[in-house]
Amino acid sequence: MNARFPPRDRIERRVVGILGLLVLVLTLASVAVGYAPFDIPAAAGDLLAGRATLPALVLWELRLPRALLGGLVGFSLGLTGAAMQGYLRNPLADPGILGLSSAAALGAVLVFYGGFAASFSLALPLGGIAGAALAALALNLVAARGGTTLGLILAGVALSSLAGALTALALNLSPNPYAALEIVFWLMGSLADRSMNHVWLCLPLMAAGWALMLSTGRALDALTLGEDTAASLGFHLVSVRLRLVTGAALAVGSGVAVSGAIGFVGLVVPHLVRPLVGARPGAGLWPSGLAGAALVLAADLGVRLLATRPELKLGVVTALVGAPFLIVLLLRQRGRGA
Amino acid sequence: MARRRACPALAMAAWLGFPAAGWAAEAPAHPVRVVSMNLCADELVLRLADREQVAAVTALADDPRGSTVAREATGLTVTRGLSEEIVALRPDLVVAGAFTTRTTVGLLKRIGFPLLELGVPNDFDGVRAQIRTVAAALGQDARGAAMVAAFDARLAEVVAAGKPLRALVMRPNAFTVAPGSLGDAILRAAGLVNVAAELGRDRFGQVPLEAAAFAEADLLILDEGEPGHPSLADALLHHPVFDALRRRGRTVSIPNRLWTCPGPQVADVVARLAAAARGRNAP
Repeated sequence: MNARFPPRDRIERRVVGILGLLVLVLTLASVAVGYAPFDIPAAAGDLLAGRATLPALVLWELRLPRALLGGLVGFSLGLTGAAMQGYLRNPLADPGILGLSSAAALGAVLVFYGGFAASFSLALPLGGIAGAALAALALNLVAARGGTTLGLILAGVALSSLAGALTALALNLSPNPYAALEIVFWLMGSLADRSMNHVWLCLPLMAAGWALMLSTGRALDALTLGEDTAASLGFHLVSVRLRLVTGAALAVGSGVAVSGAIGFVGLVVPHLVRPLVGARPGAGLWPSGLAGAALVLAADLGVRLLATRPELKLGVVTALVGAPFLIVLLLRQRGRGA
Repeated sequence: MARRRACPALAMAAWLGFPAAGWAAEAPAHPVRVVSMNLCADELVLRLADREQVAAVTALADDPRGSTVAREATGLTVTRGLSEEIVALRPDLVVAGAFTTRTTVGLLKRIGFPLLELGVPNDFDGVRAQIRTVAAALGQDARGAAMVAAFDARLAEVVAAGKPLRALVMRPNAFTVAPGSLGDAILRAAGLVNVAAELGRDRFGQVPLEAAAFAEADLLILDEGEPGHPSLADALLHHPVFDALRRRGRTVSIPNRLWTCPGPQVADVVARLAAAARGRNAP
């Protein structure tokens, strides 16, 4: 049950180092890119000196939150995808495909448009988490009944459609004329014009979710040998399942509540890091999280650099990048006869 | 092709008991079953026509958040601009917007209903012309002339700001007032400079928050009415950046419903903006 961070082998450590560096560079690039040019080092100086200048305000309340949320949400999605693929031993598992993200969006929508978030701001991430948790529990029930890989995916697709439809219904029932148009945000995701409040709202809950999922690394490795073997190696499977479900709900739920549902990240990223760190699920957790952060940050840079205005939703870009990549990956696997 | 398309329309008109051809010409001087299919049309029709003349208005007309004639619209039949609703009301005048409910308007044109389409004026002359046009179509020319006179009198009372202040209008979703629009004309009449002209806007008039923050506006124009049901579009105007701008500069609250539509209420907006700008200049 010992699952502390320093990863066991050197390759994994090197991959984590390189990806960490990439995330850092992309975060800085994300801070540097925006719609109004200003002297960022000077603004950072103002910020550190506590001078409330306009550039300092824009840096702290617009640029930084956008960059930080890109990294945080991406890490959550990548890590959750890797953990789910490992636990379910299913290469198609992903918070988007299995309906976790749409259920989280539904929870957040009910809380936000119901007016609860206005009086109690923490209600927003909690709504998202509740939605994601319900979806994760439902999927666990399906998985526990011994369904096939395909059966689980189909259950997820059904869950995802249902949550999406209920989200649309809730938004259409809202008396606010703008609400119905905001379904695009909730189903495709965006990081535009978020604030530091959003970072503080989701960060603690997300971090707790990451810790829970990262603590299952060794157990996920053991599970590749089958549940009986893993149990005989001393892993408490109920505890593993509980940590994974809670962790995924916390990380995905709070992320979706502030950014909307961004698809494909959790699906593609574990496939990307697997050739680097090997097939052991535990070794893929940190790299998948970091690669997810890099992917979302890069996509978010893309929507700002592309000349489409209003800017594209993030889910559009992640799908444009992610879907063809996955198709190529699957074809190559089939070509190998794997 | 045209004849084939006209046939069902003719059949429909016959079935409804209308003499299809030349029907518009026979319309009485005072239409008595006026149907309005656009919120801006509702506002003018309800102000200019006798209540008995109005057969129906839009479902938006009696919502006090968006409409300036909510009180006048209470109790009237409402439609959502669907063809069947309009045809069943057998109107002798339909007032529609040039950019809304296009399918229904197309059908009504083919059937030959008397139809008045209202454009979106972008200056005060356009507002005056639109008031006169609607009044004439309703057979209420005198009321139209009186409304235009009152509008001009109200505008004449306005004392524009002495120093041209830089103003930024922010509506839900960070939409602004585009240069060359009626909103822009209102700002100019109040003696203000619309900073939106300098900002990068997307083709719908949405301003990035960063650009709004660096716009150096002296006056931020927002609708700070009672918070309604929540939406992300409204929440955006309470972003910490806007809160900071509110603390820095001067904010004036103008309900969006007052300048959504061209009408006499536009003069009130000019007066309120000019007063706010003078208040800013005074100290």
